[in-house]
Amino acid sequence: MIITFKGAKTYIGTGGKSLVNTKRTLCFLHGSGQNHLSFIQQARFFAYKGYSVIVPDMPAHGFSDGNPCKSIKENAEWINDLLVELNLKEVVVIGHSQGCLVALELNRIFKSFLKSVIFVAGSNKIPVNQFLLDLSKDNPQKASKMMVTWGHGIDGDLSINKWPGHSHYGEGNNIMCMNKPTALKHDLNSCNDYLDGIDASKKIEVPTLAVLAKNDQMTPLKSGLKFVELLKNCETHILDCGHFLPSERPMELNSIINSFLLKLE
Amino acid sequence: MSENYKFDTLSLHAGHIPDKETGSRAVPIYQTTSYVFNSTEEAASLYNMEVGGHLYTRISNPTVAALEQRLAALEGGASALACSSGMAAMHLVVSAICSNGDHIVASSKMYGANINLLQHTMPRFGVKTDFVNPNDPDAIERAIKPNTKLVFGEVIGNPGLDIMDVPEIAKICNSKNIPLVLDATFNTPYLMQPFKHGANIVVHSLTKWLGGHGIAIGGAIVNGGNFDWGDKDKFPTISGPHFALGGISFWEEFGPSALIAKIRAEGMYNFGPSLSPTNAFHLMQGIETLPLRMKKHIENTHSISDFLVNHEMVEWVKHPDLETHPDHQVAKRILPKGSGSIVAFGIKGGREAGKAFIESVQLASHLANVGDAKTLLIHPGSTTHSHLSSEAMKEGGLTDDMIRLSVGLEDIDDIKKDFEKGFKAVKKLNK
Repeated sequence: MIITFKGAKTYIGTGGKSLVNTKRTLCFLHGSGQNHLSFIQQARFFAYKGYSVIVPDMPAHGFSDGNPCKSIKENAEWINDLLVELNLKEVVVIGHSQGCLVALELNRIFKSFLKSVIFVAGSNKIPVNQFLLDLSKDNPQKASKMMVTWGHGIDGDLSINKWPGHSHYGEGNNIMCMNKPTALKHDLNSCNDYLDGIDASKKIEVPTLAVLAKNDQMTPLKSGLKFVELLKNCETHILDCGHFLPSERPMELNSIINSFLLKLE
Repeated sequence: MSENYKFDTLSLHAGHIPDKETGSRAVPIYQTTSYVFNSTEEAASLYNMEVGGHLYTRISNPTVAALEQRLAALEGGASALACSSGMAAMHLVVSAICSNGDHIVASSKMYGANINLLQHTMPRFGVKTDFVNPNDPDAIERAIKPNTKLVFGEVIGNPGLDIMDVPEIAKICNSKNIPLVLDATFNTPYLMQPFKHGANIVVHSLTKWLGGHGIAIGGAIVNGGNFDWGDKDKFPTISGPHFALGGISFWEEFGPSALIAKIRAEGMYNFGPSLSPTNAFHLMQGIETLPLRMKKHIENTHSISDFLVNHEMVEWVKHPDLETHPDHQVAKRILPKGSGSIVAFGIKGGREAGKAFIESVQLASHLANVGDAKTLLIHPGSTTHSHLSSEAMKEGGLTDDMIRLSVGLEDIDDIKKDFEKGFKAVKKLNK
């Protein structure tokens, strides 16, 4: 659905079903340079399971207009305001990569909303090397292409995909190209500059789930495992794939999330 | 560790890793119509397009999917769909994008079946086409109307071997938000990847060079993922609510792969031009050696072109890599590895001479295909176009002395010797 939010056209994927704000809502937060399409195989899956689903395109991402947020805190504030605008009562936030930092910050500042937080390929910090930061400013298309290549495991290299006929690289590059050119630069700088992750992680009181990837080169497994140690009572799973878990291992990820959600009932 | 493998490696490996259960190195042939569901929930999730997977081979199949993913990787596309023939691919694309009242701009110099589909069949369903010279970007621009939904052409025209200036035409299409759809059968992704030049959708007859051995008919659509289908007035069945799946918007739900998702859900489901898993396997075997074969095809093509140019019995030779070809400069720019392995030539003595030549060669096969590993010949004047007068043939860009040669992989000296037998017969006739 498309709404006007903070004066800008804002797209919110709902998985092919109408949003019912009285139900428990799953809010998917995309990663750096991504948009709602990084959760193609989660949005419809959970919407058709009966959950209310929202997958917002952050400002300047996907089908959303507006100026990109310039910090993780600004992203969290924007999401918080959106949840208020949509009048949602009970939210489970599911972040991927940068979306995990936004979820941490959202919990730190606005925790009353959250019933649970699910971290996919997450960490409490996502430092970005200077080369990629510079490239995202000078040549965002090239930077996107490099991220898509680094981000995927062997399935990306060899075009192995559970979705018949789809290419991780071809699809991934084009998803990132749908964003406004300045979006990636601000996303990566937001990640790199975020230093409150340890504090934010320790403040989480709600049940958490972390799904990490064995061959993740963007948020390495080592960093993810240190992160989950900071979380109280976190259920952790490790899948054999790269950083783009939602498209590389959709069924396994959906199954883990679904089981976790059932335990929350 | 991500490697970003190169073309030759992807030709062999893309779309398949050894099966964990059996260790099968080759892509298994999943000769099955259907797939057991583990639960009603799983079945529903496949029907609802919640996740990827297979439910019925008319829609998708694991062997066919390996081929599709290999093609997507080789073309640098977002997604691909394989089907029963190149013409099925063409029809699937047109019917997915166009509806009653829509308009197409197409090259006037194309394969006869492509022209027939657009000139005679689609108008019965309210989709009209204006045909224009593919070498004239201005004419293409002028032909575009408010209801034009796609521009279509062949990178290397069949049989005239005209070369489309893809980057120029892509610029025009892009400025008007109209997808550029190209038949890239004659170039294959080895010689040229149209998405790098701004095209949006590629169709292939896999039967030809990609399969390469004349043993299986197949077609494919590769979606560049680089087209914005978001205009709901212009592309209502892709971006607006579709009758399938409770009003799904393919553009919103699948973004770069919207077109392929729509074709799978509508075209494959309703028309059913599926590719058999066994044919998909055969076609993939061909693709494994595509880079090697294309190098040799081009090497042999250049050798036989020189031979024909210098032969006393040959009136004219047409190939885009020859400086005499009107599109030679465009070919050099967009097809630097070579412009395919079809050569057209005219034999001194007209229609009868062509007939005598074709009936006298032994090694080259006289048949109606191209892109085989073996050298193939046809003389349109005495076969496919024998019912037409010389004047009528000229109107279609053909001459009655024309031989269409699909250069194979044989030792080229043997082909030259074989051709000498044909020329000897022509000489005898001319006396």
